[in-house]
Amino acid sequence: MSIEVLLKEFAEVSEHPHHQIQAFKAEGKKVIGVLPYYAPEELVYAAGMVPMGIWGSNKKTISLAKEYCATFYCTIAQLALEMLLDGTLDDLDGLITPTICDTLRPMSQNFRVAMKDKLPCIFLAHPQQRKPAFGLQFTMDQYQHVKSELEKISGNTITDEALRTAIKVYNRSRAARREFVKLAGEHPDVVSAVSRSAVLRAAWFMIKDDHTAKLEALNAELKALPPCDWKGCKIITSGIICDNPKLLQIFDDNRIAIAADDVAHESRMIRVDAAETGDPMMALAQQFADQDYDILLYDENSSQNRRADFVVKLVKDSGAQGLVLFMQQFCDPEEMEYPYLKKALDAAGIPHIKLGVDQQMRDFGQASTAIQAFADVL
Amino acid sequence: MSIYTLGIDIGSTASKCIMLEDGKEIVAKSLIDVGAGTSGPQRAIEQVLAEAGRTREEMSFILATGYGRNSLEEFADDQMSELSCHGKGAGFLFPEVRTVIDIGGQDVKVMRVENGVMTNFQMNDKCAAGTGRFLDVMARVLEVDVEDLGTLGAQSTKYVGISSTCTVFAESEVISQLSMGTDKCDIINGIHQSVASRVAGLAHRIGVQDQVVMTGGVAQNTGVVNALQEALGREIHTSPLTQYNGALGAALFAYQKYLKAQK
Repeated sequence: MSIEVLLKEFAEVSEHPHHQIQAFKAEGKKVIGVLPYYAPEELVYAAGMVPMGIWGSNKKTISLAKEYCATFYCTIAQLALEMLLDGTLDDLDGLITPTICDTLRPMSQNFRVAMKDKLPCIFLAHPQQRKPAFGLQFTMDQYQHVKSELEKISGNTITDEALRTAIKVYNRSRAARREFVKLAGEHPDVVSAVSRSAVLRAAWFMIKDDHTAKLEALNAELKALPPCDWKGCKIITSGIICDNPKLLQIFDDNRIAIAADDVAHESRMIRVDAAETGDPMMALAQQFADQDYDILLYDENSSQNRRADFVVKLVKDSGAQGLVLFMQQFCDPEEMEYPYLKKALDAAGIPHIKLGVDQQMRDFGQASTAIQAFADVL
Repeated sequence: MSIYTLGIDIGSTASKCIMLEDGKEIVAKSLIDVGAGTSGPQRAIEQVLAEAGRTREEMSFILATGYGRNSLEEFADDQMSELSCHGKGAGFLFPEVRTVIDIGGQDVKVMRVENGVMTNFQMNDKCAAGTGRFLDVMARVLEVDVEDLGTLGAQSTKYVGISSTCTVFAESEVISQLSMGTDKCDIINGIHQSVASRVAGLAHRIGVQDQVVMTGGVAQNTGVVNALQEALGREIHTSPLTQYNGALGAALFAYQKYLKAQK
């Protein structure tokens, strides 16, 4: 299949996730909604069900969710609840609610109350201290709880063998996505910012085997291309999510390529693989322990500004000339980290801009001006 | 033979044109008090061409800028962001400029300019506080013309604090002050200081260096300029062409682009 056809197929999935849910249900599959961040999707897969990532929506407006949410909750969380309340996600068979940020923690209870008799909500609390033995044990206990709840919904026992298979499937998916991020950065003439986002976003809505098969085919096509002589500039994106095609189109219009990303919805979730041998539950707990350089993760050496240094290195290694930070409105962790990131970027002489965004934005006039001006500066 | 270039700045509240001869001499200018999405751009173009006695065909290059820059795709040869154009225009008017503060109808921009080229910038978030719109709202509540705010604010004798964080809440504060019988001039002075405080905060994010130039329609308000000078502790330079600065920058870029295309 040609690159164009593959990109179109990913775009179709990315734009219409509800078609995916309908298709899964028509095949008799059970579907589990998975909220951000770091939920062990492998357990859902091993239970013979389909995990469906829920990262808000670019098409909905908040109405019903207002009954449950404070105004200052981020739109990602509020729009997830909106879709649960307005019937968009009625076909789900369960929901995993991680609680690693200050909004998702109380939201997990809002989801539970709102979905009381309608949908089982599986509470997942990751530990702050994820690396010491007691932290690993805590993660294991939490994952055990998730596992048993998923077994109840699916009616299947999650065997170690099934879980090891799931881990292999997910490791392969992560590897393919990491390679795609690299190849997309090398071939922005073929993979636009809009297309790049659709490929990565589609991964949240497809069975990983299917997504990986298509993505490996796409990667092979991209690898076969001659080097790209890009005349525009290259940047790194950072933030929680930047998947709005209208916003990303501004990058394409101004010939700004995304060389790599530090985005939670994209690369932050695929940096670390799980061990494919040994106790698979421990492998998943260890995988979470090995995650790093994320605003949401506790860092005992935070005074060293390691995360910001990591981002600076990412910019340099990728050959990008600058960074665009998508600051989600009301995202306290990102807001609080920004001064440290700015300090490191300024010290390294890396130009950057911060764009305030939320998922209810429909007009990007101001962002367009800032992005175009940033391209001029670069 | 002379080369004529045209810069068109379609803002949120006004449309401005500047015609340049050989990238140096301003031969005509126009300003219509309505902006993007209105008849303003077309009328401004017609006016500037009529003033110069020239036609579209005589323009070697036309460059659009401002919020509505993409609406002139069929007329203009190219478009650029207003930040770059304001930096360029200010560099032309004030060769020593290092910091440009542009307060427009719906946003505030602060630019670092080095050797006439913008090298860094900051914009306000999605908020009308500190913008021309903020002043429009306050003038309406105070029942005065926005053009008179500078003169009236200069007559203030007492400090009145107005919130600098939100247009809606600031409007409530103004209404509250009016109901308490506070002198309008004092309220206006408070409003100017509120704008200055907001804009100074933005300017400090990129570092303020002399020479500081203020552009955009709000630069005509001496009350805001004085308050901002005080807040920054630096002299602020303005020009009679302040409202045309973006269009001027666009006309200068148009000239550069024309020359480049000829090579």
